Amino acid sequence: MPTSASASPSATASASASSIAIAAGRNHSDLHARLISSDGEVQLKALRELKNRIIGNRTKKLLYIKLGLVPAVADIVASKAETIADHESSLLVQSAAVLGSFACGFDVGVRAVLDAGVFPYLFRLLSHPDEKVVDAGARSLRMIYQSKLAPKYDFLQDKNMDFLVSLLNCENENVTGLGASIIIHSCKSVAEQRALCRAGVLKKLISLLDGSLSQRDASLESLAAIIKNNVEAVSKFVESESTRALSSVIELTKDRYPRTRLLACICLIVIRNTSPCYLQDIGIKTKLVYLLLELHDDPGQVGDEASFAFSSLIAEKEDLQKLAFEANAIDKLYNHLQKGVLHPKRFQGILLALADLCSKLENCRSKFLSLKALNLVTNALNHDSSDVRAAACICLRSVSRSIKNLCAGHFMNEMIVFPLVQLLDDPCTSVQVAALSALGNIVIDFTTHRSAFVQCGGMKQLVQLTKSMDSTVRSNALRALRNLVFLAEKVCKEGIFLELTASSLASLVSDPEPFVQEQALGLIRNLVDGCMNSVEFIFSEDRIILDAVGRQLRNASKAEIGKQGMYVLNNVARGNELHKEAVMHQLIPQTDNGMQSFMIKFLQSNDGQLRTAAVWTVVNLTFPSSPGAFDRLVRLSNAGVVSQIESMANDPCLDVKLRVRTALGQFRTFGIGST
Amino acid sequence: MSLFWIVIRQLAEIEEMAVSKKVITREEWEKKLNDVKIRKEDMNKLVMNFLVTEGYVDAAEKFRLESGTEPDIDLATITDRMAVKKAVQCGNVEDAIEKVNDLNPEILDTNPQLFFHLQQQRLIELIRNGKVEEALEFAQEELAPRGEENQSFLEELERTVALLAFEDVSNCPVGELLDVSQRLKTASEVNAAILTSQSHEKDPKLPSLLKMLIWAQNQLDEKAAYPRINDLSTAMLEDPPI
Repeated sequence: MPTSASASPSATASASASSIAIAAGRNHSDLHARLISSDGEVQLKALRELKNRIIGNRTKKLLYIKLGLVPAVADIVASKAETIADHESSLLVQSAAVLGSFACGFDVGVRAVLDAGVFPYLFRLLSHPDEKVVDAGARSLRMIYQSKLAPKYDFLQDKNMDFLVSLLNCENENVTGLGASIIIHSCKSVAEQRALCRAGVLKKLISLLDGSLSQRDASLESLAAIIKNNVEAVSKFVESESTRALSSVIELTKDRYPRTRLLACICLIVIRNTSPCYLQDIGIKTKLVYLLLELHDDPGQVGDEASFAFSSLIAEKEDLQKLAFEANAIDKLYNHLQKGVLHPKRFQGILLALADLCSKLENCRSKFLSLKALNLVTNALNHDSSDVRAAACICLRSVSRSIKNLCAGHFMNEMIVFPLVQLLDDPCTSVQVAALSALGNIVIDFTTHRSAFVQCGGMKQLVQLTKSMDSTVRSNALRALRNLVFLAEKVCKEGIFLELTASSLASLVSDPEPFVQEQALGLIRNLVDGCMNSVEFIFSEDRIILDAVGRQLRNASKAEIGKQGMYVLNNVARGNELHKEAVMHQLIPQTDNGMQSFMIKFLQSNDGQLRTAAVWTVVNLTFPSSPGAFDRLVRLSNAGVVSQIESMANDPCLDVKLRVRTALGQFRTFGIGST
Repeated sequence: MSLFWIVIRQLAEIEEMAVSKKVITREEWEKKLNDVKIRKEDMNKLVMNFLVTEGYVDAAEKFRLESGTEPDIDLATITDRMAVKKAVQCGNVEDAIEKVNDLNPEILDTNPQLFFHLQQQRLIELIRNGKVEEALEFAQEELAPRGEENQSFLEELERTVALLAFEDVSNCPVGELLDVSQRLKTASEVNAAILTSQSHEKDPKLPSLLKMLIWAQNQLDEKAAYPRINDLSTAMLEDPPI
């Protein structure tokens, strides 16, 4: 469609918005006056008018919220909630319907209704003798509970649980639906899931699987909430009444209504992901893959949500990713991406699904690249929605795990790198983090383009982000820098080091968050790797970095931190006598107060890689041709390191065994050690 | 030489198959059909399902009394649904919208496409009645914001507004929007949405059964010659051509 054609209606739309505002401003004082009239008939007419104006019309909802009509309607509910006169009933029905419509799929509306303090009064409507009032009250509450803004329902209080069970046992479908919505909204913790199971809710929901269309959907969704990540609840569900419940859900994946099919799929995925012992046969796995791909064809909400369900099915699971690949998932998702203007939620979902598909399997990535899907994804980096931008970055991160394509330089072009660097400045933290993670992969192979990246300001941006208040941003920025200096030439390293400065690098090593410490140590490890000159970085500013590394190693809580730190020392220990002595100084402090060296702890660690790094460092320190080697060996021996290494001759880890053998050989040339 | 014989043999087999198509006489066929038992209650339920879904509320009520078949839905809701449908068919779309909202305010709030189509129908009626200014104002106020939310709505809106550009609408490319069929289309969309909101199937079961009958006959045609039902309205068995 030509742009001029689509531009004109939006111009009229904004003009119309202001004309509505004027017209509504005129009507508003009138409508408001009628809503607060003392004449019930006048109020009723005003309520109906308001209802018919706002239903289906988000623009008007927003307008009337801004004009302050919600509190006037809330007052009617509050003042009449206890009355049972006939015409008062219709006032209640209409005002509850108005509030429900304000809250329907619209968070601003939910907020306005909650702020009006009408929430508890709506609950009172549920015990009204007039069934129509009950219907209207239940509907409105359900609308509110469909929003994240609804207050949390506390299942752990007995009287609340009794009330919920009474809702679920009610004959009225709107009321049972409300009960289900409350569970879907508020059941999050294991304790809550247990309490619901104990109260017999699981059984009740299973019986609702045979109910009407709306009851089935509500039941499927709340069942998923109760059993999610709860092995006990899953087995209770699957083994209830001789597995009938599970087969009912499987049956519902063939239902004629797409929403029911989707919810049944989600329920099965939750069961699978929680208890991998169920639903393992290839038939059901394949079926889920095909069903979810097919549900993408639904033009509405179901299609938007299908890709999120698909992601949860295949994420981290290579077997399912393979099945999805064989089902042509990449082509199918790509076809949806090509369909012009997509709803942001759908766009985001498809990008994330592609990201999961390409997270492990190289053939998925090749397929993705062969379809030229990369262009669509890079365009999405500039999308208006931050969710879409973040999803595009995550997709790029997955695809750029392909070593083959990294080496071919497929990602190193202005089309991808420039927008990514720009996203480092994004106002939304999740986008920054995602952009960093994508860049982190892409910078690994920069053989020819590193300088271009630095010149476009990418490196400075990364350094800036290591000072972020957000620890995930700091960690991801460090990871990207760490990959950027991987096997880089000295000029590049120097540039980064000058920008970063020794003191801030040292303070990042001592960051409060362990995962930041780990990335900082990894960066230093890559920085001091390579030529001898590189080692000097760690000695600037009075060895501030080296000291920080040593301090971290003495307090290391995680094997991963020990590993990265040891590799730093190991790289330094390859240097000259001065360097080696500095490492010795960290390993065995002069003022020995009887404390065991962390080396012993690392050598005894369960982590093979950590043991490797520790032994390797000893090998580098005691290299026979270096002048101070014998002296260092004596000191290591006194600290118990030598005897510890001798005891590791038959280490189960091959890498360790190899280094231990080298170390023992070197010990023998100095005549130290047994035989 | 050998290839020639293979072809000949295959041709012979095909001919044999064609000849061997089984012939079932009317007596045999009727005897077979007599052996199939259909419960009266099931028949009644199918009829009730048809009456309810199609909205023949008086007939359904009478049928309930005479046959004792309980409908799976409150018959009062059929009256409401029919009133909505009728309002759209007569072009009183605003009235129809108010009725739907009284019936269940959720329907139009959660079904943007249906809401758009109803508003579009309202616009069409305004144009039909020559209320050009009102139509333009309505399009701007009510429909343009929906078009901003959804690309396909925008395209439909443009098509509808185009009606205003033609002097002779009966002979213009978008003229079909003014047809009665457009009203019927919208009416049936509302009808289906109301039925779904009442957890009721939106299509009656009888047509599906008849579709299945036709399909089954087509399958059988390949294997046998038998008395066939060609005219569904009479359900007469017609002798096979021999």
